[in-house]
Amino acid sequence: MRQGAVLPFAFTAAVLLFLTVPLVLCMLFAFTTGNASSLPVPGLGLRWFRALDANPQFWAALSVTAQVTVGCALASTLTGLLAAIGMTRMSTARAMSWLVVLSLPLMLPPLVLGLALLTFFTSVGLKPGVTATILAHLVFTLPFVTGVLYARLSTMDRAPVDAARDLGQSPFGAFRDVTLPALGPTLIGAMLIAMALSLDDFVITFFTTSRNTLSTLIWGMMRQSITPEINAIGTSIIAFSLSVTVIALRLTRYRG
Amino acid sequence: MRMPDAERAQLRREGLKTALLMAPAVIVFIGLFVAPLAWFFVQSFWRNATFRVVPDFQFGNYATAFRDYGGVLLRTLGTGLEVGGITTVLAFFFAYAVRFALGRAGPLILVIALTTLFGGYVVKVYAWRSLLGLDGILNGALMAAGLTDAPVEALLFNAGAVTVTLTHYLLPLAILPLYGALADMDETVIAAARDSGASAPRTMFDIVLPQIRPALIASFAMSFLLAAGDYVTPALVGSPGNAMYGNFIQSQFGLRMNTPLGAAMSFSLLGCCLLILATVWLVMRRVLRAR
Repeated sequence: MRQGAVLPFAFTAAVLLFLTVPLVLCMLFAFTTGNASSLPVPGLGLRWFRALDANPQFWAALSVTAQVTVGCALASTLTGLLAAIGMTRMSTARAMSWLVVLSLPLMLPPLVLGLALLTFFTSVGLKPGVTATILAHLVFTLPFVTGVLYARLSTMDRAPVDAARDLGQSPFGAFRDVTLPALGPTLIGAMLIAMALSLDDFVITFFTTSRNTLSTLIWGMMRQSITPEINAIGTSIIAFSLSVTVIALRLTRYRG
Repeated sequence: MRMPDAERAQLRREGLKTALLMAPAVIVFIGLFVAPLAWFFVQSFWRNATFRVVPDFQFGNYATAFRDYGGVLLRTLGTGLEVGGITTVLAFFFAYAVRFALGRAGPLILVIALTTLFGGYVVKVYAWRSLLGLDGILNGALMAAGLTDAPVEALLFNAGAVTVTLTHYLLPLAILPLYGALADMDETVIAAARDSGASAPRTMFDIVLPQIRPALIASFAMSFLLAAGDYVTPALVGSPGNAMYGNFIQSQFGLRMNTPLGAAMSFSLLGCCLLILATVWLVMRRVLRAR
């Protein structure tokens, strides 16, 4: 470290503590053997994870969450992949303006987007449920997925594809045999990014779902009481979305 | 010279293929964003009758949105400005330190900060609630240090708790664009300014900040919009007395089922936010000019 870096170091350390301590404590209390999410922790154990395992509400919510996340990831990746391929057939400037337009939904507070979707779905007769939530999540995952896939596709070497075409492959055949295998890791990475985003959302899920997902379950439990069981769910979500994201970043090599 | 017909047909076929590839994304964008938002906007002019909405064109909902909830709206925009401001300033200094002052420890510190992007929004609110509660850690620490005899109730369920919780949630999001902009910045320009005798604050205001103005605005806009539009944090760690505009919007969709008023309130909030962001943008453009 350079000299004179004491102040910046102290400042960043303070910010890091502010950011991480609440989450670390949340995870610590998930493993308490005591009755409350507070210090001192009498002992460490899996008591609250066992309580979670015995809770039918948790398993029901997990199943709904899994359907939403996986459904949203698949739909979002397929739509995003087609759009990204389409965008590679345009000039860079044009592709970029498409990306900006597709990102507009991210500028809307989730509350407004969620309520607009709720009103719209009610008007067209789509009842709240897994389908409605998947469709709603598609809106804010699509810009990320398309961006990641376009970034990879636009920097890919075109020569192997041209070679396959010259050797008589159809455009689809060349895509299937040449582009897709090279794109594979990015594709899985994009899918995982969509899953992490869908999993993190609460507000839009709240307005479009009929049964509890993990995040609406936490909300409901929290309004009644505070038990380390909520910490156990929270810890599972943190662990899952963190590992999904680490894998996604490795696969896509997406920076910024 | 005219294009041969075959070539033109080929071009048209290629254009059609691109259009087909873009079609699903366009359907999602129009069907799940433009149409719902437009429909919501139309409904904001309708009337609420008992248990149903009646098509109309009147501004009564907007009048109610400002008249009955004007005070809440002002307070909410104030909270948004406060959270947006604090978050952007903290995020800037953090990103600046990581980029220019911490040397090789920088990237590791940045990665640790960015891992807190994940974990879910409700989980974070919950973490703060258990941290600040009556039997929470902070109270425990205060009592152990002998600063108080009984737990301090004032930590939770107030405006301060809302600000802290929202800042915690938005800070990693705000660091991203600022670090990106600072990483792209040319260090030699800063060194040149310092070498020719410019003071540190001068270098900051005349060179660094003007260059990263778009990222500053992006970070501020995002944290301001998300804070001003929030209703979860005030509901869980705020007091009922200082509920935010979002809580009142949300309550129009509960038992009352007054969609037109809820829609009008949503667009009033959105309109005020955009007005404030436009002002911030104009002020920043005047104040932060490269010299």
